[in-house]
Amino acid sequence: MTIGTPTDQPSRLAFGGLIDRRLPLRFRFDDLELTGYAGDTLASALIANDVKLVGRSFKYHRPRGILTAGSEEPNALVELRAGPRREPNTRATTIELYDGLAADSQNRWPSLRHDLLAVNQLAAPFLGAGFYYKTFMWPAAFWEKVYEPAIRRAAGLGRAATAADPDPYEKAFAFCDVLVIGGGPAGLAAALAAGRAGARVILCDEDFLAGGRLNAERRGVGDKPAYAWAAEAVAELAAMPDVTLMPRTTVYGVYDGGTYAAIERVGDHLPVPAPHTPRQRNWKIVAKRTVLAAGAIERPIVFGGNDRPGVMLAGAVRTYLNRFAAAPGRRAVVFANNDEAAATTADLAAAGVVVAAVVDTRRDVPAATREAAKAAGALLVAEGRIVEAKGGRRGVRSALIRNRDGRDMHLACDLIAVSGGWSPTIQLTSHLGAKPMWDEARAAQLPGALPPGMAVAGAAAGDFGLGSCLAEGHAAGADAAEALGHDRSSGAAPVADDEPAGLAPYWHVKDSAGKAFVDFQNDVSVSDVALAVRDGFRIAEHLKRYTTLGMATDQGKTGNTAGMAVLAEATARPVAEVGMTTFRPPYVPVAIGAFAGHHRGKAFRPTRLAPSHAWAAERGAVFVETGNWLRAQWYPEAGETDWLESVTREVKGTRERVGVCDVSTLGKIDVQGPDAGTFLDRVYANTFSTLPVGKARYGLMLREDGFVLDDGTTARLGEEHYFMTTTTANAVKVMQHLEYCHQVIWPDLDVQMVSVTEQWAQYAIAGPKARAVVAALLDPSQDVSNEAFPYLAAGPVTVCGGVAGRLYRLSFSGELAYEIGVPARYGDALIRAIMTAGAPHGIVPYGTEALGVMRIEKGHPAGNELNGQTTAHDLGFGKLLSKKKDFIGRFMAARPALTDPGRTTLVGVKPVEPGARLRGGAHFVPRDATVSSENDQGYLTSVAFSPELGHWIGLGFLANGPERYGEVIRAADPLRSADVMVEVCAPCFIDPEGARLRV
Amino acid sequence: MSETLTARPALAGIALPGRHGTGNGAPGVTLRERTDLGVVAVMARKGQGEALRMAVASAYRATLPDTARYLAGQTVGFVGTGPGQWLAVSASLGGGALAVDLTAKLAGLASVSDQGDGRAVIRIAGPRARDVLAKGLPIDLHPSVFAPGSAATSIISLMGVTLWQVDETPAYDLVVFRSLAVSFWSWLTDSAAEYGYEVVPATN
Amino acid sequence: MRIRCPYCGERGLEEFTYRGDATVTRPETLDQTAEAAWVDYVYLRDNPAGPHREHWYHGAGCHAWLVVTRDVRTHEILGVELAGGPA
Repeated sequence: MTIGTPTDQPSRLAFGGLIDRRLPLRFRFDDLELTGYAGDTLASALIANDVKLVGRSFKYHRPRGILTAGSEEPNALVELRAGPRREPNTRATTIELYDGLAADSQNRWPSLRHDLLAVNQLAAPFLGAGFYYKTFMWPAAFWEKVYEPAIRRAAGLGRAATAADPDPYEKAFAFCDVLVIGGGPAGLAAALAAGRAGARVILCDEDFLAGGRLNAERRGVGDKPAYAWAAEAVAELAAMPDVTLMPRTTVYGVYDGGTYAAIERVGDHLPVPAPHTPRQRNWKIVAKRTVLAAGAIERPIVFGGNDRPGVMLAGAVRTYLNRFAAAPGRRAVVFANNDEAAATTADLAAAGVVVAAVVDTRRDVPAATREAAKAAGALLVAEGRIVEAKGGRRGVRSALIRNRDGRDMHLACDLIAVSGGWSPTIQLTSHLGAKPMWDEARAAQLPGALPPGMAVAGAAAGDFGLGSCLAEGHAAGADAAEALGHDRSSGAAPVADDEPAGLAPYWHVKDSAGKAFVDFQNDVSVSDVALAVRDGFRIAEHLKRYTTLGMATDQGKTGNTAGMAVLAEATARPVAEVGMTTFRPPYVPVAIGAFAGHHRGKAFRPTRLAPSHAWAAERGAVFVETGNWLRAQWYPEAGETDWLESVTREVKGTRERVGVCDVSTLGKIDVQGPDAGTFLDRVYANTFSTLPVGKARYGLMLREDGFVLDDGTTARLGEEHYFMTTTTANAVKVMQHLEYCHQVIWPDLDVQMVSVTEQWAQYAIAGPKARAVVAALLDPSQDVSNEAFPYLAAGPVTVCGGVAGRLYRLSFSGELAYEIGVPARYGDALIRAIMTAGAPHGIVPYGTEALGVMRIEKGHPAGNELNGQTTAHDLGFGKLLSKKKDFIGRFMAARPALTDPGRTTLVGVKPVEPGARLRGGAHFVPRDATVSSENDQGYLTSVAFSPELGHWIGLGFLANGPERYGEVIRAADPLRSADVMVEVCAPCFIDPEGARLRV
Repeated sequence: MSETLTARPALAGIALPGRHGTGNGAPGVTLRERTDLGVVAVMARKGQGEALRMAVASAYRATLPDTARYLAGQTVGFVGTGPGQWLAVSASLGGGALAVDLTAKLAGLASVSDQGDGRAVIRIAGPRARDVLAKGLPIDLHPSVFAPGSAATSIISLMGVTLWQVDETPAYDLVVFRSLAVSFWSWLTDSAAEYGYEVVPATN
Repeated sequence: MRIRCPYCGERGLEEFTYRGDATVTRPETLDQTAEAAWVDYVYLRDNPAGPHREHWYHGAGCHAWLVVTRDVRTHEILGVELAGGPA
């Protein structure tokens, strides 16, 4: 007996395995302090320590153990790490052991061994397929208050961390000639062949140790042990400069154009990721060719009690024995419908595990299995079956075996190694929508139409023998490289024998005793499938949704095929006819953090900073996000407690003296060329070709459907040179629109355009003292008098000692105002110079709120009014629509419905009760009408407290608006229980003649 | 009042010279803001492509690339950014001088628009430069497909970027919008920290 | 999805913006008799199961509007050209 030394790992084999016994690692599982070795997974270390019960099932809280040795694991889900790094539902079979690892079982209370919620098992007869649909339908209110909280408490998987994940995640891009998915025999052979031929190769392997089943089987390649060949192959690949090995990396999605998504677990095998490295990196890999060598996933045979700890897939048993030198049991029964039984029996015996029996479902058991059983001293049961695994929460204690004559025997055992054959890992072949094909001979789904550029090799293609895997992998790698023009030699293909792979389909034991599970993670049993069939769900996609078969985090990797086969049997059809559910990305669960990458917290999206940002921050400005821009919203001063107080002061300061506002964020577009004027005439509703050089004009842009797209002012700086501004929010959209108009509709126009938003720092200086401030900034001999530089003048100036700038006499505030622009590098210096120049005049900086107040006072529409649903007529700009020319939106804007005077039109409103506050979003109804949608006549879009008027004012859209000035209507806001009587008025509240603009 | 305004680099107070990130030996990359470069958009007038090419050749001894490439001239280099569009880049004609020069020499052949203030230019150089850029740039920089003189306009971490390879160090010049320079720097330094990086003082 | 921009080369979807049908033509007349043509141009779109000519904007690249011929059933790109013709 070789099991049992060293004593602290009672099921660790004394020698063998690809673990490093010189490097013991301490870890904790629940309240057990344990030791494993470098090279272990958490699962293999638990097995070495004889820990069999690792979790409780989702619905019935049944005790569960380790079923597999890979990412397909449905049972052994744990909470890994603690505190903010706690990660629920992590598969113990993929967790690389590290010193200090801490993991907790999940879905149990108060402890794994004494789970009170296991009473759900007693209710099992009621919790069958469709239970939720049937039970919780009525009364509706019960769902939220009673059922849902109760279910949440009882079910669910692990607990998410409650604090933010402290570790960084990254995204990254990679490109290659040949992407090889899977580092088993086929994948290594493919990568070697392609790499030797000179191709750029990326090899992604889920495992931390490449080799796949080469590390799990006692086989040979050429004259070497298989694991040694794998190590040599990895070394050869690592030495090739254009080959990138990506261990711990799962390719989880296939997208169009040879694009693949892969998750690299950079730091998951460490307690904390190394400094400055991410926990995980989410790769987008673009490959010209791909070799899918993802292997195959073994599937169980379904029998009574098949979910008990101690029932393990035969291939996983061999992995634990051979790779990890850990014995999953002391006394085993092998149960198979195929030739895997032979190797499993031999490997168990070699490790010193007693094999009590080999149960083969086939009548004709091949010689290899017979011999292995005989050599192991095991009873061979041909055409037999296990009808029930008996035991307790600690796992299997015996197997109830029935032979072909129906005679039962009870055999004591603590391990049942089961194999129902292998299902090729073809999920990635279906991500673009292709359906797999059922292959009767292999009793498995094989890839259907492949994504362009993809070849499938080895077990993933249904060719399970080691020799076939190596040969096909080599050929696929060489073919891919050759197709891409690489002509160096791929070398000789590695050689090995094919092991016997005979199989007779056998899906479930019909005379099972006790519950027999198809989907372990979602607790779907054979009887649930049968119930679904009785309820009328007869195809795979319906079965899935009714029973939740395959909908757990493992996506039914081990259970789906058997589930479909059981469905086929229950409906007396061939498996091919019941169909298969659709495989979708991601192939394995991927943390949300990996999708966010760098984009979390303040980096959630990029932030654009205005030229005055540093200065505004120094002044303690409050910033607001508008689009991606961070703009100063207001500038609080000492003693101010309320935003309205600050904003009111800024408005008054501007209207009474002078204010300055950074307007650099407005979109700015340089439009040049001989046809620039013609082009602007076609994209604006009004005319620009007649604009004199040195002048600016308000412009309105429509969409082709006749609604307003955007507005702004455009200045003519030269015969062939215009400077357009757009709203901050629409800058990118307008640029795209202009380029569409030019390139697609009018490619013959000789016009060029480029965004200069970022080039110019631009400040609005507004108020009665604005001229004095501007004059102080300009270099001498530049006349800014009203005569020399009247309203809407525009032109070049030099500023503060020779800086080439531009001056525009524009006003959004309604005051005497200028906008002064300098190259952005001087923006910081200019705002400081403006403040200095304005100090004698009492200048006040104002933010977007004060800007908004003043434009509402003036009735200028902004984003709330240019909301995509309004026409030029609605905004009172009907007169701007030129009748002399074609322009974007002209024809459709003339449609009767868009010019109907009954449409809601821009008006101003003021509260009848002067102290009343207005709320944006309120709806207008006639004064004495009830508040109902039938009586709805429009809505309030923008409101502000007007310091000059001393009361709230608003802009909104009202049916027949211009005819109703003076009428009192209701602004009803049922959501905020606000109902205010308002008087309709013209939208401009201050200086309607515009006298202040022109002084 | 009339005093000279002081230019503020896009990364003033943000790009702090020194050794940062992993380790303290040779850094994986060095980062430097290139200030006072002339950067100007040049857009061919309709039907003037050939004449423009000749004018650029004679005025700057430079070749206008037909594709996304950077071709250096005597004092001015040209980067292809789109059909009939280039960025002219010059270290010697900084400030607005390059735009003034191009406007005069290419009159009638191209529209010229100064971009020197609208962009921040960052040079990344060092053995891990490709690895750093791979964390955001969806473009293959393998030397077999992207060599000195290769250029591209693309997107990094949701921010537009024009870049070209300067030499085989490898070194790359990255041109980003000025308002995004701080966000871009945050991505760049987060991405470079793994390999260790050194920020060297801004120069052109 | 990857689109081979005639100027920039093959680039990923994240650089492009989809607009729609590239086969529609803006009517040249403002005459009221052209109403049906305008409605057709602005609103009505075919939805062929197969190759489709559509406008894509390479906004994160060269700013070119492209006519991409794409099989909408498979996303296979059958051709890409500059909407404005050769520069």
